[in-house]
Formats: sequence, C-alpha cells, structure tokens
Amino acid sequence: MLSNMATQLNPPFHASLNLGDLGIVESVSKCLAPKLDELRGKKIVFSCDDKKMIPFDGWGMRSNPYTATIVTTIRPIKENALVAAIDSSSVKLAETEEGSLYGIKCGIATAYAGRALMHFRIGPVLFYLSESTIQYSELEERLARLVLLDDDFAKRLVRVRAERAVQKELASHFTNSIILVDGSLKASVFEDRERSISKIAESCVLRRNMMIGISKGTKFKVLDRAATPLTKVPGPAYIEVDMIIKSLIRNTVGSNSMVKLEKSSPVLRADILGDRSESLGMLLGNDPVAGGYPETLRLAHYISMFSSTEMTCLRSHVLNSYDVTELAADDIRKTLLGSISV
Amino acid sequence: MKILSKNGNELLLLAMKEDSATKGDYMLIEDRNRSMIVQVYDEEYLSSQALIEDIVKEEVVNASSVENLHDPLNIGSLSRLVRDARIFRAKIRASVNDGKLSSDVTWLPSRVESKIRRLAMKELNSFLGRRGIFPIPLGRAGEGEEFEIYAEDLDGRLTVITGKKESGKSHLSKMLVKTLVQHGAFVIIFDLNNEYGGLGWNRDGTPSVIHHQVKVLEPGKTLRFSLNYCGKGAVSGMLKNALDMPAASMREFFRIWDWLENKQSLSIDAIGNAVNTWNINELVRDALVSRYHVIQSSRLFADGGFRFEDVISAGSGGAAMVINMGEASSTVRRMVVELVLSKLVDLLERKVIPPIFLFAEEAHLYIRDTYWEDIITRMRHFGIYTTFITNQPDAIGDAIYRQVDNIFLFNFTNDGDLDKISKVSLADNDTIRSIVRTLPQRHCLAIGKAVCDLPVVIRVAAAEVLTLGETKKFFKK
Repeated sequence: MLSNMATQLNPPFHASLNLGDLGIVESVSKCLAPKLDELRGKKIVFSCDDKKMIPFDGWGMRSNPYTATIVTTIRPIKENALVAAIDSSSVKLAETEEGSLYGIKCGIATAYAGRALMHFRIGPVLFYLSESTIQYSELEERLARLVLLDDDFAKRLVRVRAERAVQKELASHFTNSIILVDGSLKASVFEDRERSISKIAESCVLRRNMMIGISKGTKFKVLDRAATPLTKVPGPAYIEVDMIIKSLIRNTVGSNSMVKLEKSSPVLRADILGDRSESLGMLLGNDPVAGGYPETLRLAHYISMFSSTEMTCLRSHVLNSYDVTELAADDIRKTLLGSISV
Repeated sequence: MKILSKNGNELLLLAMKEDSATKGDYMLIEDRNRSMIVQVYDEEYLSSQALIEDIVKEEVVNASSVENLHDPLNIGSLSRLVRDARIFRAKIRASVNDGKLSSDVTWLPSRVESKIRRLAMKELNSFLGRRGIFPIPLGRAGEGEEFEIYAEDLDGRLTVITGKKESGKSHLSKMLVKTLVQHGAFVIIFDLNNEYGGLGWNRDGTPSVIHHQVKVLEPGKTLRFSLNYCGKGAVSGMLKNALDMPAASMREFFRIWDWLENKQSLSIDAIGNAVNTWNINELVRDALVSRYHVIQSSRLFADGGFRFEDVISAGSGGAAMVINMGEASSTVRRMVVELVLSKLVDLLERKVIPPIFLFAEEAHLYIRDTYWEDIITRMRHFGIYTTFITNQPDAIGDAIYRQVDNIFLFNFTNDGDLDKISKVSLADNDTIRSIVRTLPQRHCLAIGKAVCDLPVVIRVAAAEVLTLGETKKFFKK
C-alpha cells in the first residue's frame, strides 16, 4: 500500500514527452475533416479582425446560383421628401455586484431635397439593469435572465428599445417621409410590444411613410453571391432577394433587396417598407449619397458613437451623482496573459 | 489644479477652465508641512489623439447640419470642460521647509494630497527675504501687486536691459535713472536718442521731482572740457582709441603736450600751432594735423569747460548727467565716451567723486570692443556701475553676459535673439524662450540678483516723465 501511495504521489515522468505518444496530434486531426483539397481553384478573400470583407468586383458569375435574377435600375425621383436616418450605440459603463450600467446614444440625421437639414443627438442616457430593474422591461423571464448574464444581449436590449422608441415617434409624426434605419427590418425579441417593428411599420403605412433598413453587411453569404450582377451595372440598381431572405429568416418587415446606390459602390442589403423603386428613387432624390451609403445614415452613425471623452465624463457623472464607491479593478485577461498583446 | 507629471525640473499641472495662471506666475504646491515653489512658463491644451478626433468630428458634423441636442445628464458640459482643460508647464524653483526657503527640490509632492495655489509676490518676497532701504518701484507683478527692486540691487552690479525695438527698454531705464537720482545717486547717461532730457519734466509739462538734478550735456556746446582737466592720459586715450592715431604720431604728440605743459600754455590753438611748426616727419605731421582738425571741429575742448566734480558737489541729492549724443557724429561719440570714461576713472581713483551709475544705450555703437571688458571688470572696482540698454543682444559679448548680475528682458520674437539670450541668460532656456516671446509691450522678465535669482514678469508702470526722442514722422496722425 505504501508503494502504491508513492507511485500515485510521484507519477512516472520522462523528460522527453512526445505529443505522438500521447495521441493528441491524431486526435486533433480527426476532430473534424479538414478537407483542404476542396479549396483548390477557389476564389478567396482573407479575413481581417473578424471584419466583413467583400471582393471589389463581387464573387464572379461562375459561383452565382442566381444569375437569372432581374436587375432593376434606380432612378432618383426629384420629389421633395424628408429623410430621417436613425442610428444608436450602447456601451457597458460599469458593473455592480447585482447588475450592470449601460449607456445609450441615439442619432437622428435629416435631409431634404438633397441637402442635409439638421441632426439630433439624444443622450447619453444611462440604464441600470439588475434583477430588480429588469422586471420593468416586460421581457420574458428566461430572456431577462439571459440579458443579466450576457453583456452583449444587454447592450442589444438597450439599443433596440431606444431605436424603436425613436422610430415609432418618427413614424407617427412624419408624413410622406423616408425613415432610414441602420440594419434589417426584423422583429427583435427585445422589442417592447408597443414599439415593435410591426407597430412602427403600421404607423408608416398609415402616414404614408416609407421605411428602409440598410445593412452594412450581411451574414448570409448567399446574398453576396446573389448580388453579383449588381457589380456589373454602371449606376444605382437593385435585385430582389425576398425569396432567399424569407427562406432563411422569419419576422422581417417589407420587401428584401440587394441595392447599389452609386456607381462602383458596395452592394448593401435593404429591407424596404413601401414600393421598392419609389422608396429607393425618393431616397436618392432627397439624401446625398457618398461612397454608396446615404449621408444621413452616416451622420446618424457618427453622432451616436460614444467618444472616449464622453466615457470619461459619464464615469465622472456616475461617481458624482449616485453616491457610488469606485473599487480598484484590473483587466483579468491582461493579468492572466501578461501585458504583451496577443 | 492638480499635478499631472514631472520631468526633470519641470512639473505639468492640470488646470480646468476656472483655474487661472499666466506665464511667469509663481505657484505654491503645499504637501503637508512642505511646499514647493514652481513658476509657470508655458500653457497649453490638454491634448490627446482621442480628444482631437472628437473635436474635429464634432466640427465636421456641425458644419454639415444644424445640431439639436437632448442631453439629460448634461454630459456635454462635462465634455466641454475636458476639452477646455489646460496644462501648465512649470519649472521647480525652490522648496519651503518649515517656512524656510530651500534649494532642496529632490522630493516629489503628492499628486493626490497636494494643494496648488497662486503665490502672491508679497509671500514670495517674504520667503526670499527681499528687502532694502532704497526701493525702486517698477510696476506690477503677479496678480497686479506692486513690485519693486532695491537700488542696492544695482549698486556695484552690471545690468543689461534688452528687448526688441519699442518694447519698453528706455522706459524702464528712465525709471531706474529717475529713482536712483531721487535716492541721491549720480548717474551718467550716454543718450543716443536725446530722450533722457525729458527726465526733468513731467508728461503734463510741469517740472519733475528731479528737475533740478538733471543736467543735459551737448557735446561741443554744454559739454566741453579744458585740456588741463582731461589730462594727457584721457586725451591720448581719445587719440588712440577714438581717432586711431599711430604710435609714432602719439610719441610726437606727447612731446608737444609736455612742451606746452611746461610752458603752461596748453590749449587747442597752441597744439595746432605746435603741430604746424614742430620739427617732425611730414607723414607724422599729416597724421597730427588731421586729428587736430577733427578735435577742433568737435569743439569738445575749451578753456574752463565742464567738470564732473562741480556737478556732483553741487547736487548733493543726486544728479543725472545726460550726454546727448543723438546729433553727434560717430567719431565725436567715441571721443566723448573715451574722454568721459577716462576722466571718471581718474576722478574715482583719486576718490574725488563717489561711485557713479552709468547707463549706456546701444553701447556697441560707440565703445570699442576691448573697452567692454574694461568696463565690466576694472571700472567696476573703481565704482562705475554700468547698465547696458540694447536691442541687439548679440552685440554684447558672452564674456560680459557671464559677469551680468541683472537682466531685464523685454519682448523678443526673433529666434536668433532668443537663442543668444537663452544661452547666456541667468535663467533656463525654456523659461526665456516661452515667456519672453509672448511678453506684451512694457512687460519684462527680470532675472538675477535684483529678484534673488527667481525670474519675475513685471508690468512696468506708465512713464511719469516726458517722453522725448520719438521718431520724427512725415505723416502725422
């Protein structure tokens, strides 16, 4: 028994440990079929920092299963209408034992008759999410718990709620206008019942507003391929992709298109509530477009971003206004991995 | 205000919009029972790449469309505060331990606990122990406090007043002259612009307090000497240094001088006759004749003539002897200066007159190079205490700057001048370059003994006396 104990306390150790002996190499190589020969002859775009990279001239016709899709050119409609673009950003500002503090900023940029009109900055506004405060969000219990556990969900909740609130008000107050939204027109689990995308769409229809949701990138690769014919068109144009989108996701509002707003500009996904050609034509007629992206949406994005100065000021505001005590804290990754960035 | 960082003998202080300090101000950093005296020498914005990007972004956005803001937490105002935050660069000058000034600045004040406040000139003076019997009020310093130096600080000292044209140099020097005379001192001024004559008059045209003590001397008119009074030394010095007389001619001149002196018939006319009839080489005669004509046309010599000791004994309460050289030719200027300085040394050597203060405007125009060293070394021991006033700092040699006790620096914007001054000055390069470059008119940076080696920015008081010597202009305002 004593001999056994000694063996357990001092397991056999060889200075020249070999990965092959341990079977790790084989195990890793078999965990998933690499199938690298499948790469041969393919067109490739290298990824960079998890950013969406798109080929300048599209993926080419060979790989396009939707070559038969009709490309419709967009003609700017010179009929004056107000364009209001909305964007927002949220940040996690602080954490307590019970919850987290989030900040939100919204930006609304407007244009009329092809000229920037004015813009509105809303915020920063702070929201404290904890077990006791989340109950006022009317979220389903499991979702609420998820929000408290995951910061990304929480930031999304705050952003969706704020954006929808702004969109709802714009849709209910404007008439014959274009409401531009950053991202797709898709219902979110975080929406509040009274300010859901469907309610907003309803208001838009009632007040003859058009709503366009423009996504800077799409995770559906098939859409990029479907949009290939657009790269060959010299001017603004769109392709209908309702079939693809509706087959992939539910709860979207309006029709789905891939659009190119300028010559040699990127192709974007656009969800449109209203007549496609009219909405896009009105948008081009009333909102300056630069680099293939509406200026109002770009401006709304800029003014809704948090600057580092604002972050500093928000911290100062929290410290001065809510009788909180700041604890010394450290970056856990830095502590564990060292200061060399890897 | 908070300490941000330290680099060498420089502290960076973070200041918000309401914290005010100007270049040259002294700050006291109090940390428990110790304090540190620092001087602000530069001011800049708190700047980071992110802050600059924010400002640019906001300007671009606001230029493209009209802004409407809803900021319930009023974060925007905090953000504006951050954007307006400034950094004061300050030099560590001294520390105060238990109320006593010390040069031990090897300790670091706490960034968290330290309290920073502006140091009043009164407090600074009490730390420095600056006191004297004969004050010279110069104007204001710090937060508009009265500032004075003491006549004792100029006594036995070499002083330089320099700055670019019309920055206020002559104004300060007149103030110094006037107060020195009021305190009973005897001052000789080599006045290149005929402007010191105004010392006798107030701006409103009434006689000034030193009206009777100002004596304006015009070379060839009211400033004429007898040959006997000047003596062979002064005249030979004049011939040699101002009129470049060769050695061989000098020897003949001495013979003529001795012969006439023995005959007790020394006069300008007698020298002229002797030169013409003396049995000498024709070249030497030519040299003597040409010098004789220069001397004669200068009209600097006459029977009777001016005597310094007469003025000094008459003006027991001090006197300013202003030698107007504005209208004199450069040769006559050099002759006057040679004669005056030689005679003063002679009088001081024989203790006939008390030590005197000499104010020399743009001295490089009339004092030969080799004389500078003489003025600052030998004459100092006899009792001639010089103040040079110049707008060309490079006209004064490094050797003189090394002997300087006080410098009053007015505005310079020219990099060459700033380079020269910062290299030779008694204060550090950063302070000189930053403060002097931005000094307004009639503001000066005083450095040296007069301010106990702590540089002080002074707003020189307005002139009480009449301003003369202004440039004559064709277009009248």
